Amino acid sequence: MGAASTIGRYGRSIARFWSSSLAAEMEYQLNLLIEVAATLMTLAGSLFTLSLFFGHGQQLGGWSWDAALVVLGIYTLLNGFSSTLLRPNLGNLVKQVQSGGLDFVLLKPIDSQIWLSLRTLSPWGLPEMVLGLTLVVVGTIRSGARPDATALLTGGLMVLAGVTILYSLWFVLAATSIWFVKIWNATEVLRSLLAAGQFPVSAYPPALRLLFTTLLPVAFLTTVPAEAILGLASGGSLLAGLVLAGLSLVGSRALWRLALRNYTSASS
Amino acid sequence: MPIVSARGLSRSFRVSEKDPGLAGTLRHFLKRKVRTVEAVRDLDFTIEPGEMVGFLGPNGAGKTTTLKMLSGLLHPSGGRVEVAGHSPARREAEFLRRITLVMGQKQQLIWDLPPLDSLRVNAAVYGLDDREAARRISELAEMLELGEELHRPVRKLSLGQRMKAELMAALLHRPEVLFLDEPTLGLDVNAQAAMRRFLADYNRRHGATVLLTSHYMADITALCPRVLLIHAGSLFHDGSLEQLTQRLAPRREVRLELADTLPASAFSGYGELESCSGRDVRLLVDRDRLTTVVGRLLADLPVLDLEVRDPPVEDIIGRLFRQGSIEQP
Amino acid sequence: MSQLPSRPLPCGRNRGRPALASALRIARALFISQYALMLEFRAEILLWALSGVLPLLMFSLWSGAPAGAAAGISPEAFARYFLAAFVVRQFTVVWVVYAFEEDNLLGRLSPLLLQPLPLVWRYAAAHLAEQATRLPFVVVMVALFFLAVPDAVWIPSPARLLLALLAAHLGFWLNFLLQHAITMLCFWSERASALERFLFMPYIFLSGMLAPLDLYPEAVRRFALLTPFPSMLYLPAQLASGGPIDALAGFRTVAVWLAVLIPLNLLLWRAGVRRYAAMGG
Repeated sequence: MGAASTIGRYGRSIARFWSSSLAAEMEYQLNLLIEVAATLMTLAGSLFTLSLFFGHGQQLGGWSWDAALVVLGIYTLLNGFSSTLLRPNLGNLVKQVQSGGLDFVLLKPIDSQIWLSLRTLSPWGLPEMVLGLTLVVVGTIRSGARPDATALLTGGLMVLAGVTILYSLWFVLAATSIWFVKIWNATEVLRSLLAAGQFPVSAYPPALRLLFTTLLPVAFLTTVPAEAILGLASGGSLLAGLVLAGLSLVGSRALWRLALRNYTSASS
Repeated sequence: MPIVSARGLSRSFRVSEKDPGLAGTLRHFLKRKVRTVEAVRDLDFTIEPGEMVGFLGPNGAGKTTTLKMLSGLLHPSGGRVEVAGHSPARREAEFLRRITLVMGQKQQLIWDLPPLDSLRVNAAVYGLDDREAARRISELAEMLELGEELHRPVRKLSLGQRMKAELMAALLHRPEVLFLDEPTLGLDVNAQAAMRRFLADYNRRHGATVLLTSHYMADITALCPRVLLIHAGSLFHDGSLEQLTQRLAPRREVRLELADTLPASAFSGYGELESCSGRDVRLLVDRDRLTTVVGRLLADLPVLDLEVRDPPVEDIIGRLFRQGSIEQP
Repeated sequence: MSQLPSRPLPCGRNRGRPALASALRIARALFISQYALMLEFRAEILLWALSGVLPLLMFSLWSGAPAGAAAGISPEAFARYFLAAFVVRQFTVVWVVYAFEEDNLLGRLSPLLLQPLPLVWRYAAAHLAEQATRLPFVVVMVALFFLAVPDAVWIPSPARLLLALLAAHLGFWLNFLLQHAITMLCFWSERASALERFLFMPYIFLSGMLAPLDLYPEAVRRFALLTPFPSMLYLPAQLASGGPIDALAGFRTVAVWLAVLIPLNLLLWRAGVRRYAAMGG
């Protein structure tokens, strides 16, 4: 059983995971309508809210309207990613812990964290991802910035780092369902805290700015990638973002192993 | 070389208790009362490859806990266990490929899709190529008598068909050891019989070791030449079912059909009255007094018909569980 | 638990009292058992209280935003408004559609529907019990907020406080009835709970959670005030925080929406249960 065949097996499995879950989702065609409508409504509302801060040519935390659009765009992109991969999988994790379906996952010769994180792919978040990307492009162009290849690359890298951090936050939260039974509202807490990412982090008072760059790295989810694309990011924040992404991934793994040890009562 | 071996296997849990009412709620909120429950105590047994073994016991005896420890889902609190040369709790990929766990009324198939889609996922997960998977699917489908059901969404199948499809998904990778936890739970009589036929057939064809828990005696009597009786977490019996009944019930059942109805008190002194409905009476009589008692019954009572047989296994075991202990003769 | 009475029940004089007494007994038992249930999950209670943190985030944004100052609202005024909004939100949040979905999935509905107590009271009791469990945490969060922003400390006048409490409680019922109506649609389609998003989004944007409605453009504000959402947050929050509010118009809107939603829910409930029974449960 070489590493290559294991990777091949994982690759084929993930491909089958996603094709089967797409097939399952397509059984409900009305969903597409509902999802697109909901996405448009949310975006309209967010744009409206943002506009309240820019009434008469004002700025928010030193950001212009167009630059703030880029931040909102990345937030929308990440929200779409949550709907596509994070919410369906990690919502299932919670359900499976409660129903005992987790046992079946643990008995498969596939790493349980990978299974639980990638098992389902929901196509309904894709329109939102597209809208988010569009907003990023629109905001960048309107703000007059002309990002070169480096800026785009760093921007993409920081978005990936943000995605990793977001995934880890969600996963850690879902994994705590092994200890806490009713965690409906835990995902709500995450959602409402992450909603802070719609606005540039400099718009917040210093205490919150500190929180959003350390304990709850919202800044690295949206603001720093936006800065990278607009060519405003400092090397320090880029490095910090990458380090944080790595740490959060390692942390999520460590927590999962702890959670499994608890689930299988390894310690008691 | 045994394929399953357990030495001193134990498992205990900490459970919190709460008094009812508002006062109890607040007390529970502030300070939890915790006690230790020993679910499984010091189990010792070995199982050879190809055996079909039944775990018998009332609800809460520790059967499911034992099965979970054997499959690696639960770490033992004490003792050692080895399955297929691996320590189950480590859940190594090699080990997981050689076992399977089927739980009655719990499913792993995707609800909205036909079973075939779930089977394709499992094929990829276990590293089967498409041709091999297709071959095994058709073999299992033939054994389980599933045809076009495989193309219908799982939610549209009956419980019996769903369990069959679950079995297919669980056996696609041809495990050497099958753990079955109450597999016939909730199935109708025909479906239960079909599953038993299939399990016997599978064991014959592939020489798989089967460990089965059930509280349906019919499953055990039909499939398991060897029975492990677990009661309150301990192993009471490890042997055949006949040995168990001999050990527990050195009595035989006498069925009488009488000419007239008689009150229950009329039967005292002959043996234990099991049931008395109208003119049909069932008595339990010690084996060594059997001939004497039968003679007296025929002489004293207006007997139209008399039949002597072994009491149903269900009753024996059921009585044991109700009493909570085995009385040694 | 119902047995035939051993002798005929007295009629006339005592007829009204047993009904009220039994209703109170049921309510009390329901509340206590649901309270016990909520306390079971003490680790999660903190999370529940934290999930309403959005108004506090908005406060932090508005207090430093040039647009806020330009609208003539001081940071202290923002603080009071959003703190009030936070507290109101804690006592008006509704999750009945999720509870129902879970009960449906786990097959708990059938036995519950067979009981003489209409299902809605069970869920309402659960919500009220949950609010009771949140109370200590809300008090703590308010205290922490006052420590962080001492300039904003205030105590509303008794009249305004009373009105605010009334408005908040009525706002809860409005929110509950709205979501309950969607919940009833679950009798027809399993996926009806997805429609809850179409309530949640207007709620966020129109209830005054993101900014006092005074800051909205005129047309949008007028539209928002026609919907039930400001009654769930803006009305009680403004009353409590001392901001400018047309209380009469606000309560009038509440009354109108209650008059619409109560019969609607009754209708949907009856039709839903009929359908549930027809489909075989």
